[in-house]
Amino acid sequence: MKRSIFLMAILLLVGGVFAFTQVKTWKIGKDYSVDFSAKGVNGIFKTLSGTVNFDEAKLSESKFVFTIDVNSINTGNGLQNKHALGAEWFNADKYPNIKFTSSSIEKKENGYAAKGKLTVKDVTKEITIPFTFTKSGSKGKIASSFSIDRSTYNVGKPGGDVGSSIKINVTIPVTK
Amino acid sequence: MNLKKGILLGVTSGIVASGVSMLYNKVYSDAFYIDFHTVLNASGMIMACMIGCILMALGYVIAARLKRPLLIPILNVLYCMLSFASIIGVLSFKLPLDVEFPEMFPGLAVPMHFFPALSFLALVPFFWKHESRN
Repeated sequence: MKRSIFLMAILLLVGGVFAFTQVKTWKIGKDYSVDFSAKGVNGIFKTLSGTVNFDEAKLSESKFVFTIDVNSINTGNGLQNKHALGAEWFNADKYPNIKFTSSSIEKKENGYAAKGKLTVKDVTKEITIPFTFTKSGSKGKIASSFSIDRSTYNVGKPGGDVGSSIKINVTIPVTK
Repeated sequence: MNLKKGILLGVTSGIVASGVSMLYNKVYSDAFYIDFHTVLNASGMIMACMIGCILMALGYVIAARLKRPLLIPILNVLYCMLSFASIIGVLSFKLPLDVEFPEMFPGLAVPMHFFPALSFLALVPFFWKHESRN
C-alpha cells in the first residue's frame, strides 16, 4: 500500500513538472486570413491548419507548423483560380499543400522571427518569417507580413504579368 | 419609328429583359446554392437592361430618321456583336475576395448579357411592323 502511494506521488510529481515545463499549445481560431498580393494579382487562401506551440518565455521549445490548402486559393476570378491551380503555377493536383515548419524562434526588436522550412510545390527552402504575437488573456494573435520570390519555388514562369515578389500577410487568432 | 415609339420599345424590352434576368438569377442561385447579390443585385440588373434596351431603340429611331432601312440589319448585327464582346468583361471581372465560388459567376452573368438584345430583337417586329405599314 505504502509502495503504491509512493509511486502515485512520484507520477503526480513528474506529471506536474512536465505540465509546467511544456510549451503552451494554442488552437487556431476561425477568423484567420492569409492574403497575398503582387503586381497584377492578389488573393487569399481560405484554408489554413496547423499547430501553434508558443510561449514567449520558452522560445527554444516553441514551434509552428502551418499547412495551407492550395485548392482554397481565391483571386476573385474563377478563371484565374483555375489557372493558378494548374501545372505552371501551384500544380495543386500534385502538390496540394504549402507547408511551413519552424525550426527555431528568436526574439527580435519588433516581435519575433521564426526560422524554418517552407515547402511550396516540390521546393523546400529555409526561410525566416518575422511575426508579432499579441496576447490578451486566453487569446492571442499572430500577425506576419513578409515577401517571397515565387520563381524560387517554381511558381509560374519568370517574368510575365505577375510580379516575382509576392507579399504575404498572415493573421492567425489563437486561443488556449 | 418616332422617338415616342422608340422609347416605348426600349422600356418594354427593358422590362422583359429585367424580368428574365431576375428570374434566371433566382433559378441559378437556388440551383447552385450561390449568392452573388453583393455584385449583382436587382436594381443593377434593371438599370443595365433598361439602359441597354433604350440605347438599342434609339439606334432604330436614328435609322428611321435617316431613312436608311439598310441600317436596321447592320444595327441588329452590331447589337449581337456588342453582346458577345461584353462577355470579356464578365470573364475578366474580379469579384470581392469574400464572395464564394467565383468560378460560378460567368454561368450567371454571361447569359444575362444576351437578355437585353434577345428581348429587344424579339419585340422589335411588333413596333417596326407598325412603322412599315404607315
